[in-house]
Amino acid sequence: MLDAIDKELLKKVASLEKIPKGAYNIRKNGKLLGRQSSANITIETNSRNTGINIIIAPGTKNESLHIPVILADVGMTDTVENNFIIGADSDVTIIAGCGIHCGSKKDETHEGLHEFTINENARMSYIEKHYAFGDGKGKRALNPKTSLTLEKNSHAELILEQISGVDKANRVTEANLNEGASIILKENVLTEGNQETLSKASLLLKGKDSSANLIARSVIKGNSRQDLLVQLDGRNKCYGHIECDAIIFDNGKSEASPALRAEHPDAELTHEASIGKIADDQLMKLMSLGLSYDEAVNWIIQGFLRMD
Amino acid sequence: MLEIKNLSFHVNQSEPGETGQKTILNNFSYTFERGKFYGITGPNGSGKTTLAKLIMGIHSASSGNLVFEGTDITENSLTERAKAGIAYSFQNPARFKGISFRQLLGIAAQTEDESVLQEIVARVGVCSLDFLDKPVDSKLSGGEIKKIELATTIARNPKLAIYDEPDTGIDLWTIGPMIDLLKKEQKENQTTTLVVSHNKNFLAAADVVLILKKGQFVYEGDLDGAIPMLTNLSTCTLPDLCEGENDVRCYR
Repeated sequence: MLDAIDKELLKKVASLEKIPKGAYNIRKNGKLLGRQSSANITIETNSRNTGINIIIAPGTKNESLHIPVILADVGMTDTVENNFIIGADSDVTIIAGCGIHCGSKKDETHEGLHEFTINENARMSYIEKHYAFGDGKGKRALNPKTSLTLEKNSHAELILEQISGVDKANRVTEANLNEGASIILKENVLTEGNQETLSKASLLLKGKDSSANLIARSVIKGNSRQDLLVQLDGRNKCYGHIECDAIIFDNGKSEASPALRAEHPDAELTHEASIGKIADDQLMKLMSLGLSYDEAVNWIIQGFLRMD
Repeated sequence: MLEIKNLSFHVNQSEPGETGQKTILNNFSYTFERGKFYGITGPNGSGKTTLAKLIMGIHSASSGNLVFEGTDITENSLTERAKAGIAYSFQNPARFKGISFRQLLGIAAQTEDESVLQEIVARVGVCSLDFLDKPVDSKLSGGEIKKIELATTIARNPKLAIYDEPDTGIDLWTIGPMIDLLKKEQKENQTTTLVVSHNKNFLAAADVVLILKKGQFVYEGDLDGAIPMLTNLSTCTLPDLCEGENDVRCYR
């Protein structure tokens, strides 16, 4: 059964108002709350009982899968290892995410390892949202690790969001790209108060004509801190670009380190990074349309963090 | 409808090695009348944009007063002045990440009603309906962003509309329709229109041409009367070159 807090968490992390149709796996407080496989998507507990294996049949088109995790007032560290096999020639959307409610002094932590193998010519969209709320003084920590292997001519688009309430996060994303494979990785992180987030991404372009585009947007408010370390490795004729933008407020601290390494003369790697306060010309324009300063700031941040 | 009384504006010297303050406007006074179309022109650095920004509240005056429709707005914020009915079209409009023209127009018109937004786009006329889906970001051309800027200004239904160099980046074929639009808004809505421009077509459309030089209006009248002075100002580049030099005086 889903209570009001569960529903709020599911809505935030997976845009779910109720149990979804189609394939899903919902994990609550370290235990299985509900699961359903479909004709083309098989979900099963792994042999070590530490998570799930998700196998998407070759040729599966236009199907989606929801796999949210919720933690509600249990003061625990929930560790999960999930393994995804995306069949050749398939085209699927996976909606993951973790929501934490903390109403006590006890810390709540989620450690999530997601490993993907995306087979030849497959396309995968993956959306992962992390969100925490509650009046408790316990720390809410989320440490996701996402590891991908992209086989020949496959494509992955990842949208990773951490927008509210996460006190401490250690985020890691790694990808290995083979011939003709491509990845678009978008990461949005907003921190406030005394929150801290370290985000590391490492993309290895080892196949001929592989490509990667990483777009990171950070908003740093209050006394919070965000560090972003991103590396692109070009080992073949390939294309890669990193774009890191941060808007900083108050006493926030931010470090962005985009790094490029090429080991092939036809590797074309570029990066751009910026950290700065909210742009005056944007504020002036919106205020000249009748918005207050706070309303204008809100519009600018919401737009900045929008990942279409 | 807008009375400017003894307005002064000083800025700190920004050049390396320079100290003290530079005066942009000194004891400036002028009254703009309701429903008239003003073309404000003058040499670079004469204070045209500064004057426009002081009226909108983007800059704060060092001293003096602004009275808008009988109310002293000198201490009013940019937001308050916008809500009072002043709108501003920027020379170099801001670009945003993740905000579409539809959203920006919705903020300006205070509605999300699609039919109202489409009606505004049709009324502005210089951009097509598919413009609504465009992100207002760095991918837009200079002309596209200026058309969006024009539309968001018109969408405010302002009592006083200020356009700072509205033709920047606009192709020659759009300038005519743009002037027609501003004149139509002036006539139908009694919009007091201030256009800061070097473009003769905008000045020809104005009821009153004002030439600003060194922070003062040195001419008020029609375009024909302004031409000799404008020609003189535009052909002589020495004042700009001489400005700031010691022991140099312009006798022109």
